[in-house]
Amino acid sequence: MQRFYPYRHYIITFLLFAFITAISLTFRNELEKTNIILIHLLPVIVIALRGNFIATTLVTTFSVGVLALIYIPPTLSFLVDELIYIWSFVIFYIVGYTITFQARRIHHTSVKEILYNTLSHDLKTPLSSIMGNATFLVETHPLDPALRYQALSQIIESSRQMNRLISTLLDSARLQNIHTPLKKEWCDIVDLIGIALREFRRDVLHERIDCRIDPDLQLFYGDSGLLTRLFVNLIDNALKYSHKDKAIHITIIPNNTTLKMTFCNECPSVPPRDLEHLFEQFYRAGNTADISGSGVGLSICRDITRAHHGQIKAYNTENGICFEVTLPILKRPSHLLNEVS
Amino acid sequence: MKPHQLILIVEDDEAIGKLLHLSFQQFGHKTVHAKDRKSALREIQTRSPDIVLLDLGLPDGDGKELIKTIRSLLTVPIIVVSARSEESEIIAALDAGADDYVTKPFSTNELYARVRSTQRRFLVHQTTDSLITCDTLQIDVEQFSATKEGQPLKLTPTEFNLLKYMMLHRNQVLTHDKILKEVWGVGYQSEMQYLRTYINSLRKKIEPNPTSPTYVQTELGIGYRFVCGKGN
Repeated sequence: MQRFYPYRHYIITFLLFAFITAISLTFRNELEKTNIILIHLLPVIVIALRGNFIATTLVTTFSVGVLALIYIPPTLSFLVDELIYIWSFVIFYIVGYTITFQARRIHHTSVKEILYNTLSHDLKTPLSSIMGNATFLVETHPLDPALRYQALSQIIESSRQMNRLISTLLDSARLQNIHTPLKKEWCDIVDLIGIALREFRRDVLHERIDCRIDPDLQLFYGDSGLLTRLFVNLIDNALKYSHKDKAIHITIIPNNTTLKMTFCNECPSVPPRDLEHLFEQFYRAGNTADISGSGVGLSICRDITRAHHGQIKAYNTENGICFEVTLPILKRPSHLLNEVS
Repeated sequence: MKPHQLILIVEDDEAIGKLLHLSFQQFGHKTVHAKDRKSALREIQTRSPDIVLLDLGLPDGDGKELIKTIRSLLTVPIIVVSARSEESEIIAALDAGADDYVTKPFSTNELYARVRSTQRRFLVHQTTDSLITCDTLQIDVEQFSATKEGQPLKLTPTEFNLLKYMMLHRNQVLTHDKILKEVWGVGYQSEMQYLRTYINSLRKKIEPNPTSPTYVQTELGIGYRFVCGKGN
């Protein structure tokens, strides 16, 4: 199913055409030509709302073609007997392009606005911490060494946070562009988890992370950069939304056809209504206003998982929440280790 | 790293240039700052620096070309400081002759450690001893044996060759292509699966904790780095 997801609009349009054709042919004698022409405008409008000019052209041409072929005399030919129908067809294109243009504009402004609001908040929060602490260090003399250390650590931590967010945004932009394919290679998942953990301060993680990874885990064929980003965001999420001293459990279990990875942390339970929306861009659960986060992190986790034809879901446990990523194993490494020690 | 060395900083950004200048001055070194390719070449010809720190994105041309030019003029360690996280750029710079790299944002400690280990490689001659040691690991090149904390390690021939190659080229970034070519041979450069599999099995034998390896560090998308004595 995941594979067809990007084409869902075309599938809907196709089904709509089938439905319209069924109606039109059944009630051919009852309906006026004008009515039939009007219902054929429906798929054009549906696809035009996507804001893609090529898709609009394609569907409009198809719609016009069906009309000329089946309903407008002479039937079973693309010829039409009256000039007035040509005008109808031109109107089809005008309607299609106008809606596409508007849809595009609305889409751009709304995304820009949300992006602007959340990003300005999320980039400004660590930035103000950096500026605040740096100014404090420059202006306060003499300074207690313990305070100095605290301020400097805060600067480092905030810069790391900014760096993570910027990397996430860059990867997100890369995923949005369908023309850049995944850079797939053989990945050692344990290694990638290790790299993801390096993005966080050691003392933050010390003793909190509990990794359970199958020792015989095979190599996985995927995009190592994006998979690392997936792990970084899931760990970041677990660290942000759990109690400071509670453990974070990472479990990786392979089976015949899939690789299942779970990231669990202890926190108050999330309402089921929110669980479904967690992966939507810029969505944040209602009770998290005081935690810095943009709702970009989990949305890119979903994008990365989908790009690998996998699934991601969140569920409540007895004392917390788990994020489960399931990736299908589409390619297996050949056995190499047959050397004798 | 000896004090009073001359460090050439090729960087068009004022703030980063200043930061590099301050931190190296702190360690007792002198710095020269060049903002573009032309002045970098001039400084290299007139002052012959001990180390070159080079930003890849220069206003008057590609940094990779500059690396090649420097290489043809002087034997000097070149460390790339890059804001471009595109791995192919870094690999191209390493292929052009750069010795190591750090990506922005970086910590000055990290950069200093890279500079020190790169410079040591330029000063120290390759050992002719058959014993190679790194922390608690030791291999005997002639006997084809390896030990960890005095205990013998059971390694396959490929694992042994891989470990030997990395221990001989410790604390430097080794690209995937280079390791495959040196350990497996010409024609194996694209066999990433071999490399990943053997690194994985080698780690299981020499690393105490596979999720935070102490010896074999992964440089994502680029290669590996075998770390001895915490990079010192």
